[in-house]
Amino acid sequence: MSQNLSKPVAAPSSADSHPERPSHSHSSGQSAMTAPGAAVKIEGLTKVYRGNWSMRTSVGLDHLDLEVQRGEVFGYLGPNGAGKTTTLKILTGLLKPTSGRAWLMGESIDRVESRRSLGFLPEQPYFYDYLNGIEYLQFVASLSGMTAHNASRAAKHWFGRVGMGDRERLILRKYSKGMLQRLGLAAALVHDPKLVILDEPMSGLDPFGRRDVRDLILEQRERGVTVMFSSHILPDVEMLCDRVAIVLKGKLERVATVGDLVHNGDPRTEVHVVGAPMLEQPASWASHVTRTERLGESVFTVEGEAALQQVLAHLVQTGATIRAVNPLRATLEQLFMAAAETSAIRGQSQRRSA
Amino acid sequence: MKIVLIAQNTFREAIRDRVLAGVTVAGLALMVLTLVARPLAMGEGTRLSVDLGLSSISFLGLLVVLMVGTSLVAKEIERKTIFNLLSRPISRPVYLIGKWAGLSGALWAVAGVLGLGLWTMLAILGHGSNALPIAQAVFLAGLELTVVTAVAVMFSALSTPVLSALYTLALFLAGQWSDDLRRFAQAAPGSLRMLLETCANLVPNLPLFNMRSLAAAGESTTVLHLGVAGGYAVLYCACVLALAAAAFESRDFK
Repeated sequence: MSQNLSKPVAAPSSADSHPERPSHSHSSGQSAMTAPGAAVKIEGLTKVYRGNWSMRTSVGLDHLDLEVQRGEVFGYLGPNGAGKTTTLKILTGLLKPTSGRAWLMGESIDRVESRRSLGFLPEQPYFYDYLNGIEYLQFVASLSGMTAHNASRAAKHWFGRVGMGDRERLILRKYSKGMLQRLGLAAALVHDPKLVILDEPMSGLDPFGRRDVRDLILEQRERGVTVMFSSHILPDVEMLCDRVAIVLKGKLERVATVGDLVHNGDPRTEVHVVGAPMLEQPASWASHVTRTERLGESVFTVEGEAALQQVLAHLVQTGATIRAVNPLRATLEQLFMAAAETSAIRGQSQRRSA
Repeated sequence: MKIVLIAQNTFREAIRDRVLAGVTVAGLALMVLTLVARPLAMGEGTRLSVDLGLSSISFLGLLVVLMVGTSLVAKEIERKTIFNLLSRPISRPVYLIGKWAGLSGALWAVAGVLGLGLWTMLAILGHGSNALPIAQAVFLAGLELTVVTAVAVMFSALSTPVLSALYTLALFLAGQWSDDLRRFAQAAPGSLRMLLETCANLVPNLPLFNMRSLAAAGESTTVLHLGVAGGYAVLYCACVLALAAAAFESRDFK
C-alpha cells in the first residue's frame, strides 16, 4: 500500500470523452433547469425519510442552501447522521429530494445530463466481483460517454495512476479494502470529469493511501477540476480545502474559508520565556494573559495583538529571555465542536421559547 | 448505446456465474440420461428424448431466472454496486432494460447450447431430421424465458430477492395455467367470470410458447404462430418493464 501517486501524469486526451456535453447557452425555456456559474448550486434542498411501514419520519436535510464555486476544493463536514451523505446522494441522483432544487455545472440534477461531467466516489465503494480492475474502469468510462478506444486507454492509465498497475488480472473479489478505495477513486476520475464528489475518500486508507489521495485531489485542483468531499479527518480537510461547510442535523451551520475559520476571533499567542521566575505581572494583564510554568520556562498565553505588544515590551524591559513566540490557531476540530455546541444551545433555547 | 453496455456487462456477469455453467452441464447430462430411458419408451425413444430435452431447457432456464434474475437488481442495491452506475449519465429505465436484456441474452445462449446439444445427440442416433421443430421449440422457449426474466427484473427492482423469487414463481405457474383459468372463467358466474378473465389476461400467456409435444412428434409449427408469440413477448415485456421503470424511478438508494 505504499505506492506513490504523487507524480503528476497527464491524463489521456479526452477530446471525445464528452461527446454530448451540453452547451451552457440555453434557451429561456430551459432557464428553470439550468443555473450557470457555480459548479454545485443547492437551493432549499430538503429530504424527509419515511418508514416503510410506519408513519414515522426523520429529516435528513432541512432547507439546505449551498454553492461550490468552479475550481475550488470544498470540504463538507459534519458528524455522523448530519446529512452529508444525503446531500451527496441527492446531487448524484441516488436519492430524490423531498423539496428544493440543485444544479451540477449548471444542469439541473433532475436531468441525466447533469451527471455527464461528474465523477463520484461513494462511501465504502463496492464493485462487481467477477470483473478485474481494468474491465471495470473500461465499463464505467464507457457509461460516462467515452468511446471504447479512449475508455480502454483511460482505464489502463488510471489503473496504473492509483498504484495498481501490476494487478491488472486480479478479480475484484480478491481486492483489499484499500485497493477497492483506490479503484473507486480511479473510477471517479477515469472519464476526465469537471466536478468530482467524494464521500469519505480517506476512509479505510492507511497513511500512505491518505497521502496519495491528498496528492490526487491537489492535482485535480491544479487541473481546474472542482472537488467536493466529505470527511471526518479534519487535518486533511484543513490541508486541502479552499472552503469548508459544516452541516449539523441536516442544516447548514457555517460556510467559510479554512483561513477564516481557524483565525476567527482574537488571535492567541504563546510567549516562551526563561529568566522570569520572579517577574511580577501588571494588574492590567489579568484579563488577557495567563501564565504557566513548563519544563523550566514560563509560558505566557496572550489574547489579542495589542496585549501581545505590551507583554513583549514588558518582558524585554525586565531582561527576561524570550525563547519563542508561537501564534495559536484554533483547529478545525475545535471549531467543529464549537459549532455543534452552538447548535445544541440554540436548539435548547428554541425549545424553551416554544 | 448505454443499454447495450449494461446488457453486455450483465451478460458477462451471468456467463461468469457458476450457476449458468452448472445449469448448462446439468441440462446436457439430463439429455444423455434420456438415452438410458429409451428402451422403456416402447419405440418412442426419440419422442421421449425431445420432450425431456426441451422440458429441461424450460425448467433449467426458469431455475436460472429464479436464482439469478430475481436478485439481479436487488443484489446490486444491497451490495451498493448500483451507486457506481446510477451516478453516471444513465437513466433508471435504461439501467433496468439493460439488466433484463443482458440476462435474457445469457438465457438465449443457454437455450441455444442445450438445443444444439439435443439436436446433436439425436443426429448421432440417426434422427437428425428433427432440426426444424427443435429449433422452433428452442426459439419459443427463449421467448418464454425472456418474458419470465422481465417479470423477475420487475419484482427484483421493487422487492427482496426471496420475495421476488416467490412472486416470479407464482406468476410463472399462473401463466402456465392461463388457458385453464380462461376455461374456468367461462364456466363461472357474472362478476367472478370478469375477475378470472382479467387475471387470465394479466398473467403471461405461457402456453403460447409451448410446442414441446408438437416437436416431440417431429412436427413443426407455422410462421404465424412464431410471429404471434414473438409479438406477444415483445408487448408483454414492454408493459412489465414500463411498470418496473415507473416504480423504480422514484426509489431511494440509501
